[in-house]
Amino acid sequence: MGSSEESVVAVIMVGGPTKGTRFRPLSLNIPKPLFPLAGQPMVHHPISACKRIPNLAQIYLIGFYEEREFALFVSSISNELRVPVRYLKEDKPHGSAGGLYNFRDLILEDNYSHIVLLNCDVCCSFPLPEMLEAHRSYGGMGTILVNKVSPESANQFGALVADPVTNELLHYTEKPETFVSDRINCGVYIFTPEIFTAIQGVSTQRKERATLRRVTSFEALQPANRSLPTDFVRLDQDILSPLAGKKQFYVYETRDFWEQIKTPGMSLKCSGLYLSQFRFTSPHLLASGNGSKNATISGDVYIHPSSKVHPTAKIGPNVSISANARIGAGARLVSCIILDDVEIKENAVVIHAIVGWKSSIGRWSRVQASGDYNAKLGVTILVIIIKLMTFLYEPGESVLPNKTLNVSVQDEIIL
Amino acid sequence: MKALILVGGFGTRLRPLTLSVPKPLVDFANKPMILHQIEALKAIGVTEVVLAINYQPEVNRNAQLLKRLEAKLEIKITCSQETEPLGTAGPLALARDKLIDDSGEPFFVLNSDVISEYPLKEMIAFHKSHGGEASIMVTKVDEPSKYGVVVMEESTGQVERFVEKPKLFVGNKINAGIYLLNPSVLDRIELRPTSIEKEVFPKIASEKKLYAMVLPGFWMDIGQPRDYITGLRLYLDSLRKKSSPKLASGTHIIGNVLVDETAKIGEGCLIGPDVAIGPGCVVESGVRLSRCTVMRGVRIKKHACISSSIIGWHSTVGQWARVENMTILGEDVHVGDEIYSNGGVVLPHKEIKSSILKPEIVM
Repeated sequence: MGSSEESVVAVIMVGGPTKGTRFRPLSLNIPKPLFPLAGQPMVHHPISACKRIPNLAQIYLIGFYEEREFALFVSSISNELRVPVRYLKEDKPHGSAGGLYNFRDLILEDNYSHIVLLNCDVCCSFPLPEMLEAHRSYGGMGTILVNKVSPESANQFGALVADPVTNELLHYTEKPETFVSDRINCGVYIFTPEIFTAIQGVSTQRKERATLRRVTSFEALQPANRSLPTDFVRLDQDILSPLAGKKQFYVYETRDFWEQIKTPGMSLKCSGLYLSQFRFTSPHLLASGNGSKNATISGDVYIHPSSKVHPTAKIGPNVSISANARIGAGARLVSCIILDDVEIKENAVVIHAIVGWKSSIGRWSRVQASGDYNAKLGVTILVIIIKLMTFLYEPGESVLPNKTLNVSVQDEIIL
Repeated sequence: MKALILVGGFGTRLRPLTLSVPKPLVDFANKPMILHQIEALKAIGVTEVVLAINYQPEVNRNAQLLKRLEAKLEIKITCSQETEPLGTAGPLALARDKLIDDSGEPFFVLNSDVISEYPLKEMIAFHKSHGGEASIMVTKVDEPSKYGVVVMEESTGQVERFVEKPKLFVGNKINAGIYLLNPSVLDRIELRPTSIEKEVFPKIASEKKLYAMVLPGFWMDIGQPRDYITGLRLYLDSLRKKSSPKLASGTHIIGNVLVDETAKIGEGCLIGPDVAIGPGCVVESGVRLSRCTVMRGVRIKKHACISSSIIGWHSTVGQWARVENMTILGEDVHVGDEIYSNGGVVLPHKEIKSSILKPEIVM
C-alpha cells in the first residue's frame, strides 16, 4: 500500500453565530473562526497544520454561518496555501458526528484514505503528520488526540482511558462528575472512511428503536430516552463511548500546549501560544527591533506590515498588531491584541487587553487588566469604536472623567 | 516684634511624609511649610519666632536646618516644647517669657498647617485702629458647619461669639488660625490644656475686646494630602495673579507650574496644571504631570504619567508607570516600570513591584 496512492481530506468544524456565546463581545463583530490570533484568523492555524500532512488533497469547513461570511477567506487561503478550501453550511444541527455524515457524499467523492476532523476553537500544535503515522500503525477506525490535564480540571472535558501499551481506547466519558482519567479529548481526530458506516449504524439503530420500543410514560420523560432526531449523532456519546474497548479507536498523546478558545480572555492567551510557536515554525513572521530604527521588541510579537510603530515605542511580550494600526511615540503594549485601524497615541500604555477595530487610545492613557485569562474581567476588551481620550485635561479636547475610565478599565462591562 | 507658630504634634495626617521629617519641614511649593510663614513674618519686621512643638526636637539635620534658616533670614528661631499636650492656648502660656518684652508690642500667633496670603501688615493696621485686645483673621468658606464659625458685627469686625460646628447657618466666616494678640492676653491663659477658641477668645469677645478681619485671598489648611493638593492650586493661582516670575512657561507647560531652577525636564513632556517640581528633580522625556508635587531629588522616568499625587523626596517613578488618585509616596520610594498606583500610600524606603489597584497603605 503505497502512500502515494493515499490522499487525505480534512474537515474543520467552525460552529455558528448562535453557538459560542462566551466569545462575546468579540463575536458580535466577526465570526469567531475569523478572529485573529497571532496575526492570522483563528481557523488559519488548524488549516496551516493540515497543510503539513503529506497528500492533503482538500479541506472542508463545516458550520452554521452564512456562506458569504467565509467566501473571501476561503478563496484567499486557497490561493495562499495552494490547497482547495471550501465552506459548507449545515442546514440544521446534526451533532458533532452527524455534521460530518451529512456531507459524506462530498467528502467521500474522491476516495480519500483518511479523514482528519478538527474543531476550529482548539488551540494546539496539531501534530497531524505524526498522528497520521500512528493511526496507520494502529490500524483502527480512528485515532483521537489526547492531552494530559490536571485531575481537577479533567471533568470539564471528555475523559479517556487508554491501554498504555497498545494505545487502544478502552473507555470514554463526556464531562464525568467523578474522576475518570486525566487524559482528555483534544477535539482532533483521524478516521478511516469506515467511520461513516459507524455513524450510519447509530442513525439506523435510533430509527429502529423509535418504532419498536415501548416505554412507560415515566421512562419517556427521562432525558436519555427523549428521542433525538435520527440524523443527530454525537461523536462522543454515540460513537466513542459505545465503541471504546472494541479495538476500533486508539489514542495519540501530545505533550505540547492545548487550550480551548472559548472566551476572549483565552484568545489572548492562545494568541501568545501561537506566537511562541512561530519562533520554531515561522520565525520570519515575528517582529524584531531594539529601538534604533525599529521599535523595541520584547518577547514574541507580530506586527502586520501595513502597521506603523514609532521607534520609541516598546512592544511585547505577547502582542499581535493587525493591519493599518498606528502606534505612537513612547507607547507601551504588553500582552494584547490590537485589531485593524487602531490608533494608539503617544505614551499610552495597554496591558492585557484586546483593542477593537478603529478604536483610538489617547495620549498618556492607560488600559490595563489583571491578565487572569479565566477571570470574567481579566482582560480588557474595547470592541466597538471607542475613543479613549487622555485621562487628564488637555486644552481643546474633551475630558473623559477619570473615575469612569478607571472603573471601565478594571471592573465593568460598558455597553 | 515676636511671633509664635503652633506646630503641634507629629503630623500623622501627612504620613508617610512626616515619617521622614517633622511636619513644619515638609515642603510645600518647593519650600518647607514653615518657611512660608517665617518669611511672611520676617517681611513685616518680626525679629523672633517661637515654634511651639509637642515632640522632641531632633538634634540632627532638622535642628541644623533651623539654624541655617536663622542665619539666612536673619531672624531668631527658638523652640518651646510641651511636655504634655496643652491644647491651642496653653502653648502660649508656656512660651510667655519668650513672647513678652518691655516693648509691650502685640505678637502674632500662626498655625503651621495654614497657607494663605498672610496680609500681616494690614492686620497690624487693623489692630491699631480698633484698639482692642486681640485680632483674629477669619476666612469665608462654603461649608461653615465643618468648622468653628465666628459671628461678628460686619462694619467694625467686633466679634460677638464663636459657634462650634453650627447645625443652623449663623455665618460663613471661620477662624483662619492667624492672631495678633496684646501681651495682656497671656494673663488670661493658665499653664494647662486650654482651647483658645472655646475658652480664651469667647471671654475676650464678651468684653467686646476681640475683633475679626476677613482674610483677603486664599486660605487652606494643608494638614492632609487632599487639602495639600488643593492648597497648591490656590497658592500657584495667587502667584499667577501677582504675575510672579517664579511660574514656569513654555510649550510643555499648561496652567500654573513651579519648577525649581535645578530641576531638569526632558523632551515631549506635558507639565501642569498645578504642579510643583522641587530641586534636583529629573523628569525624563514623554512624561505627563498634573496636579502633583514632586519633591527634592525625585526622578520620573520616561513616558510616566502622574496626577493628583505627592512624590516624596528622592523617590523614583518607573518608565510607563501611572501614579494617580491621591497616591502619596514617602521618602525614597521606588515605583517599578509599568506599575499602576491608584491611591497607594507608600511608606519610606519601599520598592513597588506590583500594581496598587485600589487605595491602600503599603508598609
